[in-house]
Amino acid sequence: MLHLYAQAVEGVINSSSVPEWDSDVGDDGELVYIKIKYNNNAIEDTNTPLLENCETFKLRNNFKRSSTRRSTKGRIFKVLKVHKAKNADNSGKKKPVPQSDSSKKLEDDKSIVIQVSKNMIFNSEKNCQIEKLFGLSLATHPNGKILVVEDFLIEAYAIYTPRIKKGYYLQKVNGIEVNPYNINNVLQRIAEDPYNPKLTFETPKDVVTVDLFKLLTSKDIDNSIIQLLRDSMCSVLYICCNDVEYHNNDDKGVLYCYPRPYNQNFLYNTRGAYVTLCHLAPKSLGTSEPTTSTVLHNEKLINVTYTSHYNDLLLIAFPNKQLDLFAARRVTIDVVRMLEFLYGSLKSCFTKPNNVDKLDGMFCRMFGVLLFSDSNRDVAGNIDISTSRIEDLLGAHAVTLPLDIRVQVDDAITELEAADYREWTDDVENFQRLYTVIGSCLYYSEHLLSSHLQDEDLKEINAFLKLNGVLKLSVDKELEKLVVWKEVFINEHRKFNNSDDNDSRIPDGRWFLLVVGKGHFILATLMEAGGCTEDAVGATPPSPFYVEECESCLALLYEVGLDKYLSLWFSANTQPQLETSPEYLTKYGRKMRDVNSLKSDTALKSSTLKLSKQTLGDVKKRHNSSEQINVASNSSDTNASNYGSHHNLYAQWYNGSQKQYRHSSNLDISYSEDSNSLKSNSEISDDRVQGRRADREQKNRRESSGSDSDWDRQEVNRMGSSIDMSDIRKSLLNEIDRVTTHRITAGDDNVLFHFVQFESAKGILIAPVKNIDIQANNALYSYIIKTFRTACKRIHDLLQHSIRFKANQTSTNPLNKILIAVKEYGMLFQAPVQLLNQCGVNKKNSETFQFWVVGRVFSEPEPKELYLCYHESIPQDLTEVAYLLSYLE
Amino acid sequence: MSVIVIAIASESGVPIFSRKRGNNENIQFSTIASLHGINMFSKCHNLSMVDTHVDSGTIIWKEYCKSVTLIGIATGGLECDLELLLSCVHDVMVFSVGKKELENIKNIDQLKRDLRQCYPILDYLLESLDPNVVSSPFPTLVLDLIQSILCPQAQQLQQALDIYAENVTGRWACLAIHGHLVATSSDFTELDPREARLMLLLAAAQDGAPLRDTPVYLPQMSPDVAFRAVTCKLLADVYVIVICGATPPLSQIDEIVLQCWESYAQIIKEAKLVYPRNFPMSITFESSVLGILLININKRRCVFSRHLHTLNQKSRSISGAHRMDILRTFYVTTARDLAPELKVKVHKSEEAGGSTVQDQEDCICETYWTSEYHKCHGQRSGNMLCCVLYASTVHIHTMRMITNQILQELNTNKEIYW
Repeated sequence: MLHLYAQAVEGVINSSSVPEWDSDVGDDGELVYIKIKYNNNAIEDTNTPLLENCETFKLRNNFKRSSTRRSTKGRIFKVLKVHKAKNADNSGKKKPVPQSDSSKKLEDDKSIVIQVSKNMIFNSEKNCQIEKLFGLSLATHPNGKILVVEDFLIEAYAIYTPRIKKGYYLQKVNGIEVNPYNINNVLQRIAEDPYNPKLTFETPKDVVTVDLFKLLTSKDIDNSIIQLLRDSMCSVLYICCNDVEYHNNDDKGVLYCYPRPYNQNFLYNTRGAYVTLCHLAPKSLGTSEPTTSTVLHNEKLINVTYTSHYNDLLLIAFPNKQLDLFAARRVTIDVVRMLEFLYGSLKSCFTKPNNVDKLDGMFCRMFGVLLFSDSNRDVAGNIDISTSRIEDLLGAHAVTLPLDIRVQVDDAITELEAADYREWTDDVENFQRLYTVIGSCLYYSEHLLSSHLQDEDLKEINAFLKLNGVLKLSVDKELEKLVVWKEVFINEHRKFNNSDDNDSRIPDGRWFLLVVGKGHFILATLMEAGGCTEDAVGATPPSPFYVEECESCLALLYEVGLDKYLSLWFSANTQPQLETSPEYLTKYGRKMRDVNSLKSDTALKSSTLKLSKQTLGDVKKRHNSSEQINVASNSSDTNASNYGSHHNLYAQWYNGSQKQYRHSSNLDISYSEDSNSLKSNSEISDDRVQGRRADREQKNRRESSGSDSDWDRQEVNRMGSSIDMSDIRKSLLNEIDRVTTHRITAGDDNVLFHFVQFESAKGILIAPVKNIDIQANNALYSYIIKTFRTACKRIHDLLQHSIRFKANQTSTNPLNKILIAVKEYGMLFQAPVQLLNQCGVNKKNSETFQFWVVGRVFSEPEPKELYLCYHESIPQDLTEVAYLLSYLE
Repeated sequence: MSVIVIAIASESGVPIFSRKRGNNENIQFSTIASLHGINMFSKCHNLSMVDTHVDSGTIIWKEYCKSVTLIGIATGGLECDLELLLSCVHDVMVFSVGKKELENIKNIDQLKRDLRQCYPILDYLLESLDPNVVSSPFPTLVLDLIQSILCPQAQQLQQALDIYAENVTGRWACLAIHGHLVATSSDFTELDPREARLMLLLAAAQDGAPLRDTPVYLPQMSPDVAFRAVTCKLLADVYVIVICGATPPLSQIDEIVLQCWESYAQIIKEAKLVYPRNFPMSITFESSVLGILLININKRRCVFSRHLHTLNQKSRSISGAHRMDILRTFYVTTARDLAPELKVKVHKSEEAGGSTVQDQEDCICETYWTSEYHKCHGQRSGNMLCCVLYASTVHIHTMRMITNQILQELNTNKEIYW
């Protein structure tokens, strides 16, 4: 029956019989199928990046906004991709570029010095300074911090080869360290300098990269990767501590150990200590069970996390260098979430027969994603601890898209979820549907665009996608096709099983997760079999029909040009706008900017650019704070009493020009009670259509499971989807031209560098796009962001006292009485002088550059944390910022 | 909150002592054995447990001199640097029995008996961590700093101390009022701040005795050779402590004390009046300032004050002890970041990644908390670190301004003499 149905539907939808992923379906019905698009255009681009690169160097040094703006064309992404592809190419052809085949004397000294005659002037078609002087072309490393030799001009070939090869790093010129930020200045000096320039190159380290694609698709794991994990002290151990199994099991209760062999796994060898401690702490010391231990082994600090499940204990070890304690804790929570989601419980995960290979693969991917993915590396190939970014650790990273875009996205997903049955087959009566769609969520390049899932489901799906590297893959590669199908155990069902509460509405069925990807989009759909659908029996392979439904949903998004819009939007830095050139906020920088804005206003054509440029350029005077407070006291009364005015404000917000917005932001500088403004805010947002609220609506929908209402809704949906496609497309493309910028900080200058807003209950955090620091391409900005991320972890930890207290008043563990009251924590940082010098800010005036990192927790209506990084010059009220941010949301 | 410190002889596993504070039960022998077992076992596997976190608590093991293992367990939301506490405990042990004794334990029962004399000091240390007894007369609110009183008489008292130290053939002498360091002899800075704090603790622990000498080992300066610490009660709650050699005998010192200090009685009485405000009266504070913690980073000295305003003491909502606890917690969890040199360096052997984190901390220049009932602000200016407790109504920018003013005044005021 089931089979018959599937075939019948296929017949209706698609005449081609077998889908391309069919042969990859496992015996248990699960499927991981990935096909990556190799973009020919991109490779062509690699051959002609010279001119563009040179130009960007120049622009960067003149503090021009336009350098970041230019990347509006989505070039950053493209360039990144190109480099990835290129690196892959290199490694494919002649494996390790450095050392091995270079002469032996180089081995002890990794830097090579080449002197280029001053008399030689290479003729560069691209009129590029580097090419003219040195006869070589450079590219920026994907991390944006080093210069990589990309090619040699034919005339210069003899000078460099065989000592220098493509892919080497240009480290110094005449002893001055060079990087993408200062290369232009250095070249300037070289040009004026009469002596022959000396170039110092460095051979790139032979870094092991983990190929996610391979890990995800292939069944057996490369031994070298396992060795790598072993060397870096990654480990997983699951121990069953009850007596019966302890004595029956050959390995003294160890049910799972990775990486193996057992005797080489340090966690296995020292498990006695953790198990004893885990028993001892609650029983004899009166504390809770241990959560983490930091241990020192072979001169390496390792964080071991404990998760106990009844009598069993799951231990996971991470090297502290790559994952600090903070990260280790969050990751462990995610791992447990994921395992429970996939297997129902930890116990069944590790006792399921013939599951070891799958677990091995999963943990290998997990460590690979966390520790060895490219984006975490710094110049030396070391993994930078602070890039275990707080945005990645806390929850699903969402972005604030404009409302109309969000409506479009939601509409597309809703259509999928509605699963309008009548459109698929004429014979409605004879075919029962296979699955009900419970909800779905859509990612673009690791960013959550929309989620129609219950909070817990979203957290679990996010953990699954993240730890398995699916999200990372969607950033690194352009997907031709990705299909993942897995049976899962949804949170509600697990809870239901545990609680024996009989009036649950959950049908006794089975659940499946279908992940479909295309381009940079990942669409995860949670489906239910049982209840009103046909029961799934035995191994259940994915239904080609539903896969295609999801694919068509993505296709719809492509059709309306969302992919193009998003790639633009992700590099546009608009909602809210961040100041990615912090130098502008210093006296010297301001001067520079004014000079530049005069130039660039005439030079640049793009309307979006102009808009922001003008608004930045024409304002020189800054409000002093007292003035603002005065305004506030007048307006705060009306704000608090009259919600109508808020609606007005809201209208202004979305339709109005920049000017109006600024006005409204000034109005909002009120030092009113927190609860007041928050209340009004939530009231407003309730009557707006919001994707985020959809999960709640989802719930309602379930509750009112009357049959006719279902049909009614379908009618409505159909109406919704019957809008002319071309209209939508037009509107989206128009959108690209008028990307309005928003600000959430007070004052005339934009002092906002970064922000993170985290709602722990929902597992969603809102922050600027992940690669904002690469986009900004600014040393000072990178420093600020790095500091921000480190500081956020500390602030987050401290604020947890308050959150935990509010969440659970009758905690058995007494909390620190003082810390539970802390709701805001700020730190003022000062950029180091040498960095300012490097950025050219601090030339004559010894001006300091200070910026705040502030975190605040809002407990009403649901706990929300806001972290803000802004320049010290204009004081900010976090309540206000949260309020303004909620409009964008 | 509760905190437990256990000392075990590493090799034999014999428990040496265990001290506790708080509402937890006494640790049983078997538990101590298991805890020690965990440490021994992991050591066999070339693994050392650095620390272990439980819900709102920490457990750490630390081996000193390769012979004594200290185990510290802190729970119940106690914010303290457990590692620092253990190293203080170890200092106290060295202080009373000497390093040699601890390094090769010959007779463990003898050692146990010898160490019994340092129990009062250890208990003071643990007690001072308990927020409920912040008002205890001899506080060491912050483990790594010496609590002091700033008084205009300090300079005169220093002269007296110099003379006194010379007369008793010692070099290092100090005067303590209510357990707070008030004045020191000129050479006193030679001592490690931790040794100086031990001297104050010693005086506190010997409360009541008018004149007494105790053999002490200075953990940094002379861990193997004992000095003689002479504590002498000048007035009620006023002690003078000096470290000297074997001579002169106590009876003679009694006379010297009289000679040296008789004429200073009035000055000491004046200095005593500064307590509990702890700042000279010439320094005034804004009324929104509820409490202050001033730290001299180089000298590792701090001044706590919660009696800043002579009038309307009672109208304040937050109790005095609670204010101290807030400032203490603020310093321990947050403001210490402003002075990275105060942090105990751990795991310096490896972790290149750690160094970058350190670099970043160097650049913090201000930090604050906003809580439902109060605000705290910490700012550093050169060698001074100032943590101020404000009423919750004060705005952040006002707070910054006031703290800045306070720091400026404290840096320039002539009556302040550290």
